[in-house]
Amino acid sequence: MRKVLIVLAFIFAVFGIVFAILPMGTIGVLPAGLSLLFALIAFIKSPVGHKNVPKWLLIISALILVVIIGRSFVPDEVVEDTEFEQKKIESKQEDLKELEELEGLE
Amino acid sequence: MRTIFFIIALTFATIGFSQNRAVKSGEKFVYAASYNMSGLMTQIAQVTMETETVKTAKNTLLHLSCEAATYSKWDSFFKIRDVYEAYVNPNTLRPSLYKRDILEGKYTKKEKYIFKNEGRTIESTMTKKNMAPTKKTFNVGDSTADAVSTIYQLRNVDFSKFKVGQTKTFTVIFDEKEMTASAKYMGRETISAGNLGKKECYKISIAAKTQALKGNDKNIIWLTADAAKVPAKISFSIPVGTGQLTLTNASGL
Repeated sequence: MRKVLIVLAFIFAVFGIVFAILPMGTIGVLPAGLSLLFALIAFIKSPVGHKNVPKWLLIISALILVVIIGRSFVPDEVVEDTEFEQKKIESKQEDLKELEELEGLE
Repeated sequence: MRTIFFIIALTFATIGFSQNRAVKSGEKFVYAASYNMSGLMTQIAQVTMETETVKTAKNTLLHLSCEAATYSKWDSFFKIRDVYEAYVNPNTLRPSLYKRDILEGKYTKKEKYIFKNEGRTIESTMTKKNMAPTKKTFNVGDSTADAVSTIYQLRNVDFSKFKVGQTKTFTVIFDEKEMTASAKYMGRETISAGNLGKKECYKISIAAKTQALKGNDKNIIWLTADAAKVPAKISFSIPVGTGQLTLTNASGL
C-alpha cells in the first residue's frame, strides 16, 4: 500500500511539473494536489525511519503547487511585437493604394 | 483561431446593409479568449476589435479590424497573430475591401476580397505558405458581406423589437464560400462586461450549416442592451471543444 502511494505521488508529481512548465494555467493544481495527497498519506503510513522518500515527495509536490498558484496571479499579457506592428503599417499603406485604384475604376 | 473568428463572424452577421447607428470610429474592444481544458477555462489569447476613419482621395471609409494574439506565455508553444480587417462605407457598412492575414504556429494564410460591381462581384486573392497566390472572381448576393463587416453589422439590428425565439437569417462569405446562418433571439440576461460593469444584454444564439459549429444553442453572443450594442461575451462550441471571449475593456464608445 505504502509503495503504491509513493508511486502514485511520484507519477502525479511528474505531471504537475510538466503542467507547471507548460502555460496550462491552474490545471496543474489537479496532479500536484493529488501528488501532495498521496505523498501525505504515504508519509503518515510509513514507519519511523522510512519517511524520507514520502517526505521529499511531499516537499516537491508542495513546491509545484506554490509555483502553479503563484503563476496564476501573474497577469496575462501580449508581448509587444514590432515586426507584427510594422507589417500592419505596411499593409494599411497597401490597402489605401488598393482602395484608390478601386475608386479610379468607379 | 480561424474557427473561433468564423463563429464570431456568424454571431454578428445580419441581413442587408441597414443604416449604421451603432458603430463609431475610434472604438476599441479588448477580449480575453479562453479555451476549456479539462473543465477549466484557460486564457490563451487577446482579441482586439477596433474601428478607425480612413480617408482616400475620394472617400472617407471606416476601417474595421479584429486581431487575435496569443499571450506571451503561449508564444513559444503556439504563436497566433491573426488580423481580419475590412474597409467599409461608414453609413451602410457595405465593404469595399476585406483582408485576412493569419499566422497560427507554422500555418500562414492571406486572403483578400475586393468588392466590385456594388458588392455583387468579388475578386479574391488567396496566398498560402510556400504557394503562389491564387486569384478568383465570383458573384455573390446583394446582401452578402465579408466576415468582418458582418461582425459589425449585427450591432445595428434592433433586438428590442424581437420576440424570444425570433430568428434572422443572413449570408456571409468566408473562405470563398457563401453560407447562410441564423441568429435566434433568446431574451435578456445581465452579465459582467469588463470595465462597463454589469450590463443587461441581448442573448443571441447562432446556428449555421457548417462543420465549425456544434450543438444547439451552444454558440451564444451577449450584446449590451443599449444603443452601442457592445459584444460583452461570446461562448462557442466547436468540434474540438468549447471556449469563450469575455470583454475586458471597451473604449471610444
